Amino acid sequence: MTTQNAPLRVAVIASIYRYRSHAQHFCDRLLVGYPRGGRWHRPNMEIVSLYVDQRPSNDQSVDRAREFGLTVYPTIAETLRCGGPRLAVDAVMIMCEHGEYPRNEKGQILYPRYEFFKECVQVFEEDGRAVPVYNDKHLSYSFAKAQEMVADSKRLGFPFLAGSSLPVTWRLPDVDVPLGAGIEDALMVGVGGSDPMDYHALEAMQCMLERRRGGETGVAAVQMIEGDAVWAAGDAGRWSWRLLEAALSRSDSPLGLTETDGRTQNLIATGELKRLVEKPAAYFIEYADGLKATLLMLNGAVKDFLFAAKLAGEETPLSTQFLLTPGQNVTYSACTVGKIEEMFVSGVAPYPVERTMLVSGMLESCLTSRLEGGVRLETPALRVGYAPPAQSQHAQS
Amino acid sequence: MNRRPKIAAIVTEYRKFSHGQHIVDRFLEGYGWNSKHHYPPMDLVSLYVDQVKENDLSRERAARFPQMKLYPTIADALTLGGSDLAVDGVLLIGEHGDYPLNEKGQRLWPRYEMYRQIVSVYRTTGKCAPIFNDKHLSWRWDWAVEMVETAKELGFALMAGSSLPVTWRTPSVEWPAGAAPTEALCVAYGGVDSYDYHALETIQCMVERRPGGETGVAWLQAYRGDAFWDALHAEVWSRELFEAALSRSHTLTPSRPGFNHIFPTRDEMRELVKDPIAYVYEHNDGLRCSMILLNGLVQDFNFAAHIQGRAEPFSTQMYLPMPPARTTLANFFSPLVNNIETLFLTGASPYPVERTLLTGGLVEAGVDSLHQGQIKLATPHLAVTYPAPTTSTFWRT
Repeated sequence: MTTQNAPLRVAVIASIYRYRSHAQHFCDRLLVGYPRGGRWHRPNMEIVSLYVDQRPSNDQSVDRAREFGLTVYPTIAETLRCGGPRLAVDAVMIMCEHGEYPRNEKGQILYPRYEFFKECVQVFEEDGRAVPVYNDKHLSYSFAKAQEMVADSKRLGFPFLAGSSLPVTWRLPDVDVPLGAGIEDALMVGVGGSDPMDYHALEAMQCMLERRRGGETGVAAVQMIEGDAVWAAGDAGRWSWRLLEAALSRSDSPLGLTETDGRTQNLIATGELKRLVEKPAAYFIEYADGLKATLLMLNGAVKDFLFAAKLAGEETPLSTQFLLTPGQNVTYSACTVGKIEEMFVSGVAPYPVERTMLVSGMLESCLTSRLEGGVRLETPALRVGYAPPAQSQHAQS
Repeated sequence: MNRRPKIAAIVTEYRKFSHGQHIVDRFLEGYGWNSKHHYPPMDLVSLYVDQVKENDLSRERAARFPQMKLYPTIADALTLGGSDLAVDGVLLIGEHGDYPLNEKGQRLWPRYEMYRQIVSVYRTTGKCAPIFNDKHLSWRWDWAVEMVETAKELGFALMAGSSLPVTWRTPSVEWPAGAAPTEALCVAYGGVDSYDYHALETIQCMVERRPGGETGVAWLQAYRGDAFWDALHAEVWSRELFEAALSRSHTLTPSRPGFNHIFPTRDEMRELVKDPIAYVYEHNDGLRCSMILLNGLVQDFNFAAHIQGRAEPFSTQMYLPMPPARTTLANFFSPLVNNIETLFLTGASPYPVERTLLTGGLVEAGVDSLHQGQIKLATPHLAVTYPAPTTSTFWRT
């Protein structure tokens, strides 16, 4: 007979806890369970303490505290110590997405993830003990801050996981870049605003490309351009129209005439693509090992996140859709919570936080490029290498 | 076949989101497939539309695709206005349009009548071509049998069925080779004599792969309303499988305000589902299956089965990217059209029409059981036996 271990005690540090905020989507799964592998899984962990930075009138933190027996504390330190003298939890979730925060001149929302994280680190240092941390989405709008966060986790020796749900959601089709494959060219299609949605698209692209031969070597230079120059860059061979066709072949949501009368569309051949996308944007990523990859944000043409790559020795491009499953359930967040639970239980992050750190830096540098008129920027600081996880991490079972 | 096959389409209605539009458009406009915009290697040359209303698209399509001519009769569409069969394949799409209901509530789609007209041309000209019949064969069992027997007698390939067996699955799994199911079910949505058919095809495309192949169905009993809740309580079907299927859903209606994804209690289910329906039926080899429609609780098709010798249920979702809420394209028609292309190119159906003969008979039996007060009906006529296809035909690439 096996004995059940005591539930893991989790602290949540949230920007806001309201219906359909990330904190609500993710943390509720610890409270009420979530689908995992064909079961309604009830994790053996409990949220014991909660810090909420902003509490507008639709705040849920008080209700959750009452119903699930957790305590809302006024500071991050008290949340981690559960009101006592020292660290009193086994794991921390930093859910800093949504809420009212200012933007900088690059258009980045200044979520205080770094600041929340540093307060956690301070408790770890003062109390002489550190526990695993999950940081929702990218680490910081600032690569320097992101680097410091990762360095802190290494220095104090605690597992650190971060990122988007796109790398771990279902894929249509269910494919991954074969580990160690040569990649000759890659293209990602994303939609939505900057900076939240371009981040998701870059991280989706990165989780594929890091599997290439030699592993991740970091980024040597980036450039971001907008408008008709994006099409001209394709015509000039800067990015591949063939890969764009491959990516769009995975779309379930072409706009324009499909909305009008339901027809399928070859958006490239008919010219509709250029008509539909008012302001295309291209994010060019030049990796240190020579691979060049491009994110195209194509608002107006489609509504999904699509990837295509030309693999060495393969005639047909590999392509897939990162499936953002329907609201309200947004089951893709259950895929992420499964990974968080895995880290909290095993003490090992299932995929490297360096991925998210690098993507944080790629995004920041691209937005700097845009601010400076679309210039190409050398990015010596982004020459950050890491090894990808040996196992595929997306939803497969 | 050295030249491009010529295809005729016989449809009840051609308007946005009718099956006629979804299927015929993919022949005309092409569709995303395997990393490119794929154009079927055949020409859709003739179209007959039974009901032309204000929202008709067939005239617009014929104007843009002049190789496709509109004909006033089914015979003309097959002979291109001449006296000889002039096509190499026929699409029979008798779904959508205004057709009467009978006293049992069955929609009297004229599939059999249209099929008879096609076959009449075959008999007159002494030539035949493969037919794809969309959805089930006929609402009337003896007519459906006659359709299958006629194809055998005249020696042409007949393919039929739903998109559910061929669409994406999350997870992307096939019935395990050699696995013996002890019970199977599908939790889905939709109405009687409508989506019940799709849910039955969902189950059947899986369980037909069991050792020994299909043996036919011995009896069926429908449960509706209070009888459904009583049956759920009495575990007429496995509670474990029922919950496994719900755990595969991406559209589980939140039973409590403020939560986006929470597993409902029985009482909450009763609040959400006003008209629950189940068809419970037993195959001749003893396998028990349950087709369950829970409008208000889910909006997708979720399969689960117990397999002999395995502790965990086997489960997946047959994923439909369904417009207009989630997508703009009903891309589950793409794998269906791709399989139809195989039919027309090879002259053989990729999967047996007997599957659809059986599921159509199950729909009628379900309607009859409900009509007769939810009685248990012996179904000796459903002794349909066939071997499963040896290859997988669902969308994986």
